Amino acid sequence: MCREKNTPENTDAHPATPTGWLNPYLHIALNGLLVTTSELLLKYGAMETVQPETSLLLDILGFSTLGSLWVWGGITCYILAFVNWLHILRWIPLSIAFPLTSVVHVLIPLGSWLFLGEYISPVRWLGIAMIIAGIYFIAKPLMLSEEAL
Amino acid sequence: MTARLLILIILAQIALVAGQIFLKHGMNFTKKEIIPYRPVVINIFAGITLFTIWFLLWMGLMQKMDLSHLYPFEGISPVLLVIAACIILKERLDLRSWAGVVLIALGTLLVGIS
Repeated sequence: MCREKNTPENTDAHPATPTGWLNPYLHIALNGLLVTTSELLLKYGAMETVQPETSLLLDILGFSTLGSLWVWGGITCYILAFVNWLHILRWIPLSIAFPLTSVVHVLIPLGSWLFLGEYISPVRWLGIAMIIAGIYFIAKPLMLSEEAL
Repeated sequence: MTARLLILIILAQIALVAGQIFLKHGMNFTKKEIIPYRPVVINIFAGITLFTIWFLLWMGLMQKMDLSHLYPFEGISPVLLVIAACIILKERLDLRSWAGVVLIALGTLLVGIS
């Protein structure tokens, strides 16, 4: 669990954490799905637009990827994920919320395995298991405190 | 991997972490009864600016490197971010959650290198 410092903005009376469709923990799961979708779209667009660049700055910043519609689809998903992320940050400490978004490193390989038939090596399975264990470590006390309310 | 790519990866991670800190700092103001919109908007704008820098650096890196070589470095960001949140935002994690963060970072590293 995480405690925030008793700064003036935190000790002021503030509204209760929303429940139902606005529950911030539900939105962390939604955020994982949105980011996974956008990552796959962005990578597809980046591969499609590889080209030699004329200047160093253009080479460092991937501006040429903006010519791909897949990249714009990815950007749209990222913007949705961003709005959703602001809602999460309103209610959950950053040091809890951010590590939980690592669920994308589980969802992307699992999605590739389930839907694209890609191979997952034993080392990668171990990594997936460690991420799930880490998320469980962080989320378990949150689930208990939610139940207690 | 060249030294330039490594520096760009580290810069991208720093931009991402700093952007998150600004966003959270801005959204902390929304917990007040009467929300002061000015600091919220300024901090969110700072966060978006840093995310844009991170995004363009990351897209440039994705053009030059395979995801399998780029992804292990994503394991660094939860650790960097939690340290920054503790120092700058004064958030506090218990030992169990720290263990969770380390597991996630090592797991992300393994998923990345495999």
